[in-house]
Amino acid sequence: MILLTAWKNVWRNKSRSLVVITSITIGIFAGIFAVGLMNGTMEQRVDAALNQEISHIQINQKEFTDNYNIKLLIDNKNQLKQMINNVDGVEATTLRTLITGIANTATKSTGVQIIGVNPENEKQVFNLHSKTIAGTGSYFEKETRYNQAYIGEELAKELNIIRYRIDNKMIDRLRKQEVPEETISKLEPFIGERFPSQKAFSRTIEKALSEKETANYGHIILDAAWSFRERSKLTLTFVDKNNIQTGAMFRISGIFDVSNSMFEKRNVFIRNEVLKNLTGIEPDKTHQAIIKIADRDQSKEITGKLEAMFPDYQTRHWKELSPDLAMMTGMIEKFNIVFLIIILAALSFGIINTMLMVVLERTKELGMLTAIGMNKRRVFSMIMAESVFLSLVGGVVGIIVSKIMLLFTANTGINFASAAQGLEEMGFSSHIYPTISNTFFITVTILVIITGMLSSIYPAIKALRLDPSDALRTE
Amino acid sequence: MTNSKLAWRNLSRNKRRTLITAASVFFAVFFALVMRSIQLGSYDYMYKNVIESYSGYLQLQQTDWWYEKTINNSFEYDSEIRETLTNDENVLELIPRLESFSLASSGANTKGVMIMGIDPVKESLLSDISKKVAKYQLTPEAIEKITIDENFSEKIIKNAELFEGNYFNNKERLLTDLGINIDDADKYMPLLEPYCSIEGSQIELGDPGVWIGTGLADYLLLNPGDTLVLMGQGYHGTTAAGKFPVRGLLELPVSEISGRIVYMPYDIAQQFYNTGNQLTSVVLHLKNNDDRAIEDTKERLDDSVPPKTRITDWKEMNEVVIQQMEADNVSGMFMIGILYIVIAFGIIGTVLMMTAERKREFGVLVAIGMQKKKLASIISYEMIFIGLLGVIAGALVSIPIILYGVEHPLIFKGEIAHMMEEYDFEPKLVFESINLYFIWQLLVVGIMVLISLIHPVRKILNIKVVNALRA
Repeated sequence: MILLTAWKNVWRNKSRSLVVITSITIGIFAGIFAVGLMNGTMEQRVDAALNQEISHIQINQKEFTDNYNIKLLIDNKNQLKQMINNVDGVEATTLRTLITGIANTATKSTGVQIIGVNPENEKQVFNLHSKTIAGTGSYFEKETRYNQAYIGEELAKELNIIRYRIDNKMIDRLRKQEVPEETISKLEPFIGERFPSQKAFSRTIEKALSEKETANYGHIILDAAWSFRERSKLTLTFVDKNNIQTGAMFRISGIFDVSNSMFEKRNVFIRNEVLKNLTGIEPDKTHQAIIKIADRDQSKEITGKLEAMFPDYQTRHWKELSPDLAMMTGMIEKFNIVFLIIILAALSFGIINTMLMVVLERTKELGMLTAIGMNKRRVFSMIMAESVFLSLVGGVVGIIVSKIMLLFTANTGINFASAAQGLEEMGFSSHIYPTISNTFFITVTILVIITGMLSSIYPAIKALRLDPSDALRTE
Repeated sequence: MTNSKLAWRNLSRNKRRTLITAASVFFAVFFALVMRSIQLGSYDYMYKNVIESYSGYLQLQQTDWWYEKTINNSFEYDSEIRETLTNDENVLELIPRLESFSLASSGANTKGVMIMGIDPVKESLLSDISKKVAKYQLTPEAIEKITIDENFSEKIIKNAELFEGNYFNNKERLLTDLGINIDDADKYMPLLEPYCSIEGSQIELGDPGVWIGTGLADYLLLNPGDTLVLMGQGYHGTTAAGKFPVRGLLELPVSEISGRIVYMPYDIAQQFYNTGNQLTSVVLHLKNNDDRAIEDTKERLDDSVPPKTRITDWKEMNEVVIQQMEADNVSGMFMIGILYIVIAFGIIGTVLMMTAERKREFGVLVAIGMQKKKLASIISYEMIFIGLLGVIAGALVSIPIILYGVEHPLIFKGEIAHMMEEYDFEPKLVFESINLYFIWQLLVVGIMVLISLIHPVRKILNIKVVNALRA
């Protein structure tokens, strides 16, 4: 009965209630959406780390990852793999050999990690193969008589395997993209020129074109000038099992593009058997087993099981492999709640004001109710219920609006291209798909109810203090 | 009676509502000010950290070096260049550098590293790199000794185990990470020193000693006093190889760099790479660091530097950092924006209520001959006072906090600190002192007040006295 009265009271002064409800709707919507963006960023980072970089669980010899000592091998790799795959919850396992070395091209060289992989097994654990840039080849799909290497875009740029050039083909591509002739004519004097890096290319373009043209067509021009030299070569040098300097030439099998530029820069993937041949590692040995499990929340338990099975090795789950990632996911949840509480606190001022107004406006009515015997507890709960309804309506509408917005952006995402380089340097994607867990919506609802209750306390106390005889006499 | 006086009295008629509305403005202003202060402060600090301590504001480089960092893209550092640069009115000192890559090895381990050839004395004008030489390390042996020593509590032992293997370049950091109050340094340092201290000495021009990052030291299992072997490609394809004693280990905030950096005197690097008198870059230490002055200096020097060299400015050299800050800045402003929108709605709601409640009063006033304009201006004064009250209160409360923060930056401890370092941030919360951003909050609140005025002013100007009197 009290609840029904409170609900009806909310709608007695529609326009006033609607202002408060709208402000709560906007606050909740904006808050949820901002949280969604942050969550999305985080989730995508974790996703990339798990699907491209570290996966869920890694097993290797103790101290192997300290300095990748080539001699810290695991014997009997097939038996190991068999045993791991028999554990409940394990989805797939891939075995890797890892050494450090130097990648050289005719003009450049840089330190890299060389990773020997079995392409078929890798595909079951990682999705790196799907990140191949169109037109650069494939993930070890083509059989050739050459050794093949699969490298990241950043490394390819650093080694001048990808470069930027302005030629007739590029100009044609620009015409197809409907870049105005005026802009194209400014680029024509450069036909035939090659640029060692994206920076050098951008600088030339920025000088040749007006600011507006660079802003409008910069990306198109950059894409059109991007050129990959097919059948590019790469020499890898490293130390073999007997500490002897050795190396070999590789053809580029494909180039991948992920959102972590450090990862792109540091890793070269080659076939396991090639690496073993070159370094003299026995075929039945391996450095590392990488395990994908069905449910990532189970990584701790499965790691425990594996640890018991292989006490001589080091078994670590992703939260141990990347403690900063694990900690950040934990921190972002707390930060989200704090952020929402700040917004709700800001909203509570509006609610308090409105409820105060409600109480003062109904002085006579409240006096009447107390005079005919409504006890204080009921008056208090009636006002509190009204306040909770007010905030809850706003909160629910806000949640619905954000749900709709999230549905819209879930497929397209939101692109922060202007900060791409900076974000990718930290391993974050610049194209963000906002995500919100259902539990967060529940948290929001609870917080909204609490806000409604807290905001009503002061006005409700005011109502209780009314003296019925005085209150009845007011106009 | 003046309009403002009337407005003030109207406000005190309903003190409670005035205070609550002003409090909502206060709340937003307070949060916005503190948040902006921390954000802007950390950008400033990062600028200082990255730009002033590493890249400098301007560098002289070989034309292609920034795009292709190979030793072949170096330039002759002769007296003519030195003269051209030092003759500029804004250049105080030249800081020479020779940077390249090499393979570093010790025992069976090898790793690709960055070689930084510097002038240790002049380099300290930018950042005192010698202060980064690690003084203490929590080695497993040290932790074992701490565990047996009865002077250390359970908590300290636990912290020590958490940070096993970590290096520290000052005792404050060692003590905070161990959870010891800095005031107790006199009590604990004499106990810790024999366990944790590691050697470390200076490098000097002409002396073939090197500093290496602690990450690299861990990888190559090197300690001060050991020998590092470097092998790489020298100038125009010559072979560069040499043995260098390690003088000290550098504990750098960025783990990525600490795993692959070697510092040596630049003349030793020139010998190592067979470059003769070449350098890859010269940092210009400037007298005046204003944006304007930097640009002018760049323009002046661009014309006078020898061919095949160019002046590169900090914006080009720190593109990535600037973008990261930009992204963070936008997200911060977005959040403050949300806060202000919410508050604005609160104010608009209050105004709406107030207008409805006083409809009759307005009607009476107009009926007895008050000008509508005058009435509107009184209402405007009321709202402006509420806004001002909030802004002033917000500023008054946040100023002491901000000023305190400026003097005593918040330093994070423990795991959070290490995570921030993992992302290249120093674990420090720096506040920006009172500045332009204060004015911004005033402007935003001003705009909010203006928007909230639209409704009542229109209502008053269109008031129908007969209807209003009946309300």
